[in-house]
Amino acid sequence: MNDWILDPAHDHDLLGIERHRSIVRESGLVSSTLRFIMWSILRPALKIWHRPRITGREHLPKSRPFILVSNHTSHLDGILLASLLPTSWRDHVFPIAAFDTFFEKRPAAAFAARFLNALAMRRGGAVNHDLDEMRKRLNHEREVFIVFPEGTRSRTGEMLAFRSGIGRLVARTTVPVVPCYLEGCFRAWPPGRHFSKPLSIGISIGPPMNFEDCSDDRAGWDSIAKRLKAAVENLAGRRQASSLSGAADQLP
Amino acid sequence: MNASTAERFFGYDHAFAHPVTRGIVIFLASALVLTPMIFMGLRRTIQIAEATYAELWARWRSWIWISMALIVPILLGAAWVIAGVFMLSLLCYREYARATGIFREKMISFSVVIGIGLISFAVIDNYSRLFFAAPVLGIGLIAIVTIPQDCPKGFNQRVALGVLGYLFFGFSFGYLGLMTTDPLYRPLMLFLFLGVELNDIFAFCSGRFFGGRKLFPHTSPGKTVSGAVGAVVLTTGMIVIVGHFFMFTNTPMDRWPMLLILGTGISVFGQFGDLLLSSIKRDIGIKDLGHMLPGHGGLLDRFDSLVIITPLYYHFLSLVLGPLGHGQAERIITGGPML
Repeated sequence: MNDWILDPAHDHDLLGIERHRSIVRESGLVSSTLRFIMWSILRPALKIWHRPRITGREHLPKSRPFILVSNHTSHLDGILLASLLPTSWRDHVFPIAAFDTFFEKRPAAAFAARFLNALAMRRGGAVNHDLDEMRKRLNHEREVFIVFPEGTRSRTGEMLAFRSGIGRLVARTTVPVVPCYLEGCFRAWPPGRHFSKPLSIGISIGPPMNFEDCSDDRAGWDSIAKRLKAAVENLAGRRQASSLSGAADQLP
Repeated sequence: MNASTAERFFGYDHAFAHPVTRGIVIFLASALVLTPMIFMGLRRTIQIAEATYAELWARWRSWIWISMALIVPILLGAAWVIAGVFMLSLLCYREYARATGIFREKMISFSVVIGIGLISFAVIDNYSRLFFAAPVLGIGLIAIVTIPQDCPKGFNQRVALGVLGYLFFGFSFGYLGLMTTDPLYRPLMLFLFLGVELNDIFAFCSGRFFGGRKLFPHTSPGKTVSGAVGAVVLTTGMIVIVGHFFMFTNTPMDRWPMLLILGTGISVFGQFGDLLLSSIKRDIGIKDLGHMLPGHGGLLDRFDSLVIITPLYYHFLSLVLGPLGHGQAERIITGGPML
């Protein structure tokens, strides 16, 4: 007869805000129900308010784990990408969010953890430890991470350089990384505004990339970041081209 | 809802009518006021490590909250007690579920929440048949709810863990709510709490004073045989004296054998409740089931003694005194059958 597996919650020792900030945080029935309610409202609301035009949906993997990476210009980005995934995965989809924006204060941390299911990414010296913990979680618990490798929202709408942290997450693993490009989020909800404008958003999803052959060191991480940025720029170029041709088609 | 039920649910005018209620509330309030003075006196007379001193204060602060959470609803009325027991059951199940890992099975936890809701409804409705049917209904739901996942691997474990949590923290604690169907629920509940909590303190003090052989060293390394025996002797003595002179005077319970059985039962099964939760913790390999109460651990680390004794207390008193709550309006929401 096999032993029973009694595995306490990985954040069992933590309380309150420390639990919300934890990278090993696990959701229970309350958070899962709150998220179910939120997505039941948010999903149709996003469809009505932002009328997303999605291309390449067939590239989204059917099984976990995987990572979605995208350009980052607005608070809309994370929820738009998460809304592409099934509601039944709501407790396994983790947008990676900046600690100092979402996890400094209790109400924001509670909202980010309970509703958005965001994981806190600190800046500075702690970042490497956080990335290693996330990498472990990604592989062992078959999660989906939504990562913005620029590290911050672009203040101009132009794509910034991708940081090497994304490479540290996936180098020498078989975890697929799906590049995505979001068009129109900056105009709809730029930094500094309180609410989004009802503008249509374009979402392009590229084929998954694998970095099993990349070395797990600084050079490998940099090369992964560069390859991913190139993939997202490629999607951006194609979306702009199709928008132009669409506009041309609509000319009298 | 008739006047008697309304009074039971929401009436607090006669909260202090029974001498046991008055006595226990005054005793607890005095103990909480005197304890800080004892701490300060101890610190002046003997050397206490800073960490131990801080721990004592943390425990005292937690006791303030625990006492308030227990006494205030009991004084305010049955509706508040039932709401409090509902919350206690949910929070204790949550601690247990997070400690054992069963919280990952959301449908099982959802079924347990439904079962706890059913128990609370049966108590509000004063529908005793539904209350006593709740275990089999709840267990049935827990057992079938994950079948549609078509994942038989781990079925026995997840159902067993769910059922165990439901029976201990939903059904067993539900008896605290069921006691409120009796007009004398205030003194009855406070008497039980006093017995169980003093039993813990007596065990700790006797164990410290006499020391000696460990009781079950693999289950709970801190407990000694002398502590267990001392708790039985002192708790039984306390229950017999308070029961004879104040609680059960001139009732069928006011006989030595009955009072001795009650006192011994509260002590022995209170300690078994404690050991039961210790066994769960040791099996998992954790020290505390939660961290909600600084100095104590989780809620379950404080309320563990009630897990076994509460149904026994209810049924023993019902056996000797007649069914608790007898004569009160029944099925106040669902209505009785039309005759």
